Amino acid sequence: MGTSELTPPRRAAGPWLLGAALALVWLADFAWALRLGPTRPFSLDEAWRALVGGAPLDATDAIIVRLRALRALTALSVGGALALSGAYLQGLFRNALASPGVLGVTSGASLGAALAIAGLGGFGPGALVESSGRLGPLFVTAFALVGALAVLVPLVFVAGGGGRISVPALLLAGMAVNALCSGLLAAVQSLTLGNFEVARALFAWGFGTLEDRAGWQVALSWGALALGALSIPFVALELDLLAGGDEDAAALGVSVPRVRALVLFVSALLAASAVSVAGQIVFVGLLAPHFVRLVIGSAHRALLPLSILAGGALLLTADCLQRAWLPGANLAPGVVLSLIGAPFFLFLLASQRRELSSW
Amino acid sequence: MLRARELVYDYPGGRRALAGVELSLAPGELVCVLGPNGSGKSTLLRLCAGLLAPAAGTVELAGRALAPLSARERARELAFVPQSLRALPACRVHDFVLGGRYARFPRLAGLFARAGAGDHAAVGAALAEADAAELGARALDQLSSGQFQRVLVARALAQEARLLLCDEPTAALDPEHQVRVLLLLERLAAAGRAVLVATHELNLASRFAQRIVLLCEGRVVASGPPEEVLRPEVLTPVFGQHLHFARSTGAPARPLVVPWPASDGAGNAGGQ
Repeated sequence: MGTSELTPPRRAAGPWLLGAALALVWLADFAWALRLGPTRPFSLDEAWRALVGGAPLDATDAIIVRLRALRALTALSVGGALALSGAYLQGLFRNALASPGVLGVTSGASLGAALAIAGLGGFGPGALVESSGRLGPLFVTAFALVGALAVLVPLVFVAGGGGRISVPALLLAGMAVNALCSGLLAAVQSLTLGNFEVARALFAWGFGTLEDRAGWQVALSWGALALGALSIPFVALELDLLAGGDEDAAALGVSVPRVRALVLFVSALLAASAVSVAGQIVFVGLLAPHFVRLVIGSAHRALLPLSILAGGALLLTADCLQRAWLPGANLAPGVVLSLIGAPFFLFLLASQRRELSSW
Repeated sequence: MLRARELVYDYPGGRRALAGVELSLAPGELVCVLGPNGSGKSTLLRLCAGLLAPAAGTVELAGRALAPLSARERARELAFVPQSLRALPACRVHDFVLGGRYARFPRLAGLFARAGAGDHAAVGAALAEADAAELGARALDQLSSGQFQRVLVARALAQEARLLLCDEPTAALDPEHQVRVLLLLERLAAAGRAVLVATHELNLASRFAQRIVLLCEGRVVASGPPEEVLRPEVLTPVFGQHLHFARSTGAPARPLVVPWPASDGAGNAGGQ
């Protein structure tokens, strides 16, 4: 007779260590982000004074600090939101390939945003803000949310309304939605090629942008992320039990339709807010949860919060690297993430084949 | 304990799975549901477990209707032991069995509440009762089929439910482990639980069931003690001609039914 069955299992220190490490990466990245840019570096203290209060900075400096800090805060929240969204969908569908992109939520949001950009006649930094004040970006954000919800609501209705849609069917539906949205997006781009401002704005949107984020956009993405984080205690254990299948979870007492609807809604909301604030940023939703899972396992009570930290760290690090190495290029973060993320992901697949297949 | 009345269920395609099935089960009873493939055994178990909703008819648990209960309330009253899982969670046996405690955790247990000492003790007791005490620290994907089946039973025991519904618990097991699982279920019934087992194993049902419910095409065609049900005139119309009937030796002597080509002749009268 072993004794393990009578003593509670030892608590692994892994999740706390990883959490502490990722929190340090957040801080270090944030401080680093304040140093990157065409003018002089700034300190955390100066950022505090520019953003919150205290002895005022020189007016120009204050604006620059503010812009850099908002850029960094946007990267953290957008990365965190995409990663939590991906972790939710991977858990819900028991599928390592699930992500907001796969379900078509990102495409829907992008299509909505593209329509708004085309309707506004451009989305260049400056042009939009100057021409229409804050109404323009708000318009784009609202359309992105509408686009994401237009994809999401039918999905929640079908999957959460007592229906018994299969996971492959849902993933296939996501692919169909993706194809539809990509086609419509291409149509919008073709029809607006003659307008340089619109074409440039749509191109920028395609790979995401962290340039010139306004305070309200930062607030929007952090608000959505906070809502997402609040939902974690309601579904973490339930997602663990769903690993054995919907019926098995139901037999153990999980209200599967409720969990499914909540997870779908929250993950779509997170993806929509991220896309509407920063455009299409690929790989974070897929990569960050996998990274966390490979380090600490797939218990959702640790996986979900740590995915937020990992996603934020991933996106802000990618942005900082890009700005440090290629200061003039102003590459979109999605480009860097693709260049770093795709090979890294292939490496993970090759080296961790057993873990991924057992999962 | 469990009482099903006039259960009717249609498959999603519209084909009738069950057409007015009656079933009752008392504490301390082990009842086997037999029937050919597609006769509705698994569907009947899922209806009794509340995992499917009947088109007509009712299921009652200790006098209370099952349908209005929430999933959590159901899971405290009855435990469903599946034949297998869609996917094996990547965790240790102890943590897997702890999943059986879910319906007894406080609400919102996900992030804040830890499983208490009582839950871990219940897991330990369930593993011990299911002859799986030594498996607690093993990874779930390193178990043999027989060990995994015992772990599934242990998880059901951790639910502390008075009713166990087992869907083909001996499928994919060798004879040694088939008997061990049934001995385990027999012991659980003797300890006061009600156990309902859907199975293809006519001889295990003969030895272990106090009653057998024989399903064919969604209807109960026979119900009673093994001696009454496992007879040629009852089974041949249901399972066809290829059966050989005999009796076990020893006490208690029970009917034995073996798949055997009818062309070999002379078997069907044997032992009766």
